[in-house]
Amino acid sequence: MSDLLRAEGIEKSFGATRVLRGVSLSVGTAEVVGLFGPNGAGKTVMANVLSGLIFPDRGRILFDGKEITRLPMDVRFRAGLTRTFQIPGPYPTLTVMESVLVARLCGDPGGGGKERSLQECEGEVESVLLRTGLFAQRFWPAAKLSQGCLRRLEFARAISCRPKLVLLDEVFSALSAKDEAELAGLMRSLHEDDGISFLLISHNPLLLSEMCGRVVAIQDGRVAWGGEARRPASGPARGDRR
Amino acid sequence: MRNTTGALALGAGLLLLLPLAGLDPFLLDVLTSGFLLASYVGSWDIVGGVAGQISLGHALFFGTATYSCALLTSLAGWPFAAAAVAALLLSTGAAAVVGTMSARLKGPFIALLTLALGELAHEVMIGQTFFSPRGAYSWGGEGGVPVALPWDAPSPWAAYYGALLFLFVSAWGMRRIALSREGLIWTAISGSELTARASGVDVARHKRRAFVAAGLFAGAAGVGFAAYVGRATTTDLSLELSFQAATFAAIGGRGTIAGPVLAALILHALFQGAGVPPAARVFLYALALLLVLRFFPAGVAGALRERLRARKMISGGAIR
Repeated sequence: MSDLLRAEGIEKSFGATRVLRGVSLSVGTAEVVGLFGPNGAGKTVMANVLSGLIFPDRGRILFDGKEITRLPMDVRFRAGLTRTFQIPGPYPTLTVMESVLVARLCGDPGGGGKERSLQECEGEVESVLLRTGLFAQRFWPAAKLSQGCLRRLEFARAISCRPKLVLLDEVFSALSAKDEAELAGLMRSLHEDDGISFLLISHNPLLLSEMCGRVVAIQDGRVAWGGEARRPASGPARGDRR
Repeated sequence: MRNTTGALALGAGLLLLLPLAGLDPFLLDVLTSGFLLASYVGSWDIVGGVAGQISLGHALFFGTATYSCALLTSLAGWPFAAAAVAALLLSTGAAAVVGTMSARLKGPFIALLTLALGELAHEVMIGQTFFSPRGAYSWGGEGGVPVALPWDAPSPWAAYYGALLFLFVSAWGMRRIALSREGLIWTAISGSELTARASGVDVARHKRRAFVAAGLFAGAAGVGFAAYVGRATTTDLSLELSFQAATFAAIGGRGTIAGPVLAALILHALFQGAGVPPAARVFLYALALLLVLRFFPAGVAGALRERLRARKMISGGAIR
C-alpha cells in the first residue's frame, strides 16, 4: 500500500515543553489508521501539525507525494487533507447548509482556480447533508445543534470536498451510543465506498481496534508502539450496547 | 419577510415624496447629509458587521475620499469628475493597505490598528497647511480644504434626490455583496476563523477583500459628501465619525446592512433635525446604544433576523 500521508521525525516544543519528540507515522491510500495515546501524550498536537494548524520545529510531512510541511491549513484542505476538531466551533450566525457550503465553495479541488457560485454548490451540499444525516436540520442555525449533530456537521464539513484523507480528532467522544454507531457507520461507508483514508485519533483502544486496520500509539511525545489493530475476540459491535 | 419589505418600500416612498410636501430647507439638508452618512455606516457594516473585523478608524477611507476631491480640484486643478475617480481609487487603496496590515491580526488588535491609523491621518491633516496655487490663500487645519465644484450652488432638491438615489444604489449594492458568495465567506470568518481555515478559506485574502469593498463604498460616500458640502474638513477623518459608524451599526444590527443604514438615517434625522447640540447627541447615541443592547443584543434588525430564522427553522424554509 502506497503512503498517502507520511510524517517523518516530527518535533514540536512550546517553550521549554517538548511535546513531540521525533514522531513518525504514515497513512496509506484507503487505509484507516488509529493514533492512540493517553491524555497529554501529544495526539492533538500531532493532529494540529499534520493538518497545518501549527508547523513543526523539525521533521517533514509528505502528502500525496508532495511536501506540505509549511503549507497552512486552508491549502491542505484544498489539497484533500481535511480534519475535524475535538471541540467543534460552529459559525454562530450561519445555518447548517451555509456552514458546509463555505467548505464546498472554498475547498473544491476541481475548481481549477475558478470560483464557484452558491447555486452551483447547493445541490452537492444537500447530498452531503443527506449522507451525514443533517438534511432535516439544514436550515437550523449551526449554534443550535446538539453535540451529536455538531459532530455530524464537522464530518460533513470535512468530507464536503471529497478529500483523500480525513483526520478525526476524538470525533466519537461524549456521544450517545446511537450517535456513535451512526457516525461509525458513516465513516465505514466513506472508507469502503469512496476510498477515503482516515487517521482516527482517540484515547479509546477498544474503539480504535474496531475501526482501524493499524494503530500507532504515542506516549510522552514518542511513538511507543505501532502495528496491526487487534480486534476483540468477541463482544457486541459498537453502538449495540443498549 | 413580506412585512419588512413592505415597510422598507413605504419608507422609500415617504422619502421620495417628502420634499414635495414643502419640507423646510434645514430639514432637507439634514436628510441629505443623513443619506450620505447612512451609506457610510453601511460601508462600515461590510467590514465590521458581515466580516466581523471591528474597525475603529473607518473615517480614514471616508476622509481620504473627501480630501482627495478637495486637494485634487483646488490645488491640482483637476476637474471634479476626474478627482472623484481618483478619490475612489485612493480610498480603496487605503483600505487595501489597512486590510493587508490587519489580515494576520484578530479582534481587539484590528480595532487598535485601525484606530491608530485613523487617528494618525486625522492628526496629520490637523497640522497640515496647503497653499493655493495662486498664493493668496492657505488652507488646511481644522478649517479644511475647499472642493472646486463645477456648479455654484446646487438646488437643495437636486442634492436631496441625488443623495437619496446614491443611498438606494449603494445600500442595494452592499446588501447584494453581503448575500453573495463572498459575503457568506466573510460571515464564516466572522463566526470562527479557525473553522473557516479548516474549511479551506484563505482568511487573510478574504479579510483584505472585505476591507477593500468597505473602503470603496466609504470612499463613494466621501465623494458624495465632498460634492454636497464643498469642503473637506478634519471632521471627515475624526474618531467621532469612526465611532458613529460602529455605534449606529450596533444599534441597527451588525451584519444586516439595512439595520445600520436605517439606524444612522433615523437617529441622525431625529437628533440633528430636532436641533440637539453635538455634545447632547453623543449622549443620546450612547443611551440608544445601551437600551438597544439591553433589549436586542444583536441590534434591532439582528433581532428581527433571529426571529425570522427561528420561524424558518420550524417551517423548514430557506433563510438567506
